[in-house]
Amino acid sequence: MEYLMIIVSAIFINNFVVVQFLGICPFLGVSKDFKSALGMGLAVTFVMTLTCLITYPLYTFILVPLGLEYLEIIVFIFVIASLVQMIEMALKKFSPTLYNAMGIYLPLITTNCAVLGVAELVIDSAQIASLINIAESSMNMGYAVLYGIFAGLGFTLSIVLMSGMREKIARLKIAKCLKGFPIAMIAACFIAMAFYVFALI
Amino acid sequence: MFNLLLRPINVQSLFTVLGIVAVIAVIFAILIVLVSKLCFVKEDERAKAVSEHLAGANCGGCGYAGCADFAKALAEGKASINDCGATANEEKEQIAKVLGIPFSASAQSFAVVRCAGGSNAKDKYDYVGNKGCDFQNAFQGGRKVCPEGCLGDGTCALVCTNDGIKINNGVAKTDKSLCSACGACVKKCPKNLIELIPVTAKVYVACSTKCRGKDVMGACTVGCIGCGLCAKNCPENAITMENNLPKIDYEKCSGCLTCVAKCPRKTIKEI
Repeated sequence: MEYLMIIVSAIFINNFVVVQFLGICPFLGVSKDFKSALGMGLAVTFVMTLTCLITYPLYTFILVPLGLEYLEIIVFIFVIASLVQMIEMALKKFSPTLYNAMGIYLPLITTNCAVLGVAELVIDSAQIASLINIAESSMNMGYAVLYGIFAGLGFTLSIVLMSGMREKIARLKIAKCLKGFPIAMIAACFIAMAFYVFALI
Repeated sequence: MFNLLLRPINVQSLFTVLGIVAVIAVIFAILIVLVSKLCFVKEDERAKAVSEHLAGANCGGCGYAGCADFAKALAEGKASINDCGATANEEKEQIAKVLGIPFSASAQSFAVVRCAGGSNAKDKYDYVGNKGCDFQNAFQGGRKVCPEGCLGDGTCALVCTNDGIKINNGVAKTDKSLCSACGACVKKCPKNLIELIPVTAKVYVACSTKCRGKDVMGACTVGCIGCGLCAKNCPENAITMENNLPKIDYEKCSGCLTCVAKCPRKTIKEI
């Protein structure tokens, strides 16, 4: 039951983009066509998962016992930046096709606030426990990583939805003043409103 | 606020913090170095050098996604320098030097108008509408009797950025020295009369008609009647007849000008 709650919560109810308004930059920048949107989404999912996998134990087992919780942002930035760097190099070696497909988006993840957002969220056990309806004390690393995976998938879902809408919009006749970003903003607004229904669950 | 600034610093905890941050930083630094050693990919230095010489227009005319991609393909030997129309010849020579491949301007091309009609070709009506070949072409395929005749309104001259096309006697003519082979006129001509041929070419066929010889005789004094004398007499066998028109293989052509002399209609012209 908790797992289902995590999935629904991370993907729909607390969707990182359209509900929590994190990671808006790639959401608007990389959503022009379906393929690159999917690539970006999956790259973010991958980095989010690894980030949760590393930052949660780092925080819980090193920073908390030492009373250094206030270092979280510095440490998390370390982790995310070097992770992205390493993933980039590994991709270049083992999957040049994927590396070329991701292109500029991969380094952009370094500064994607959704990634830092998920790292900050999973260590805040009180908040996450209330989000997924479990006791605060039963929060563990499994939940954290799971939340990371599905938060990334939620990001992928919204960016793919957005790219689908923008591909359709590109073929429409719309007023000149609305072309490009303005209509994308309006589309994003409608997606966000649709997602708000899940908040009622 | 000043209280915060003036409070005594706990040196011991400061060192713990510094130590922790430093340890984490060093761990990640070592990891990055390890990964970079492990995943070292030899990048082609030449691709970078090549891209410095390319025009950098990112026009996509070569079929690659931008100049960087083209440079990579060049370095890997997948592409030819001459696929790029935007880079100047001097720069191309530099690129050839970097890559260690031969480069000659011979593979360069320029545009010729394959029609010499104009006042030599009969009109079927007087055209008095808007100036522009597309407009004229929309009305009964233009004023010429020959369906492949130059309409002479100079739409090609308008799109030429080098001012390399002039209209003389109602027919467009290109200037070899001014042509940059960008292909803009080739795309623009509604009759598809303009073609890119190698700069080394000595002769070209100044006619594109698909009509039979008899019809050509009635429509134009310089049109090709498809007699095939050029093909028969070419010492290099560089000319073949296709659809009643001679086709010159410029790789075989030696520039002997036999065809120019033999052509009864003076359709094959020396450049």
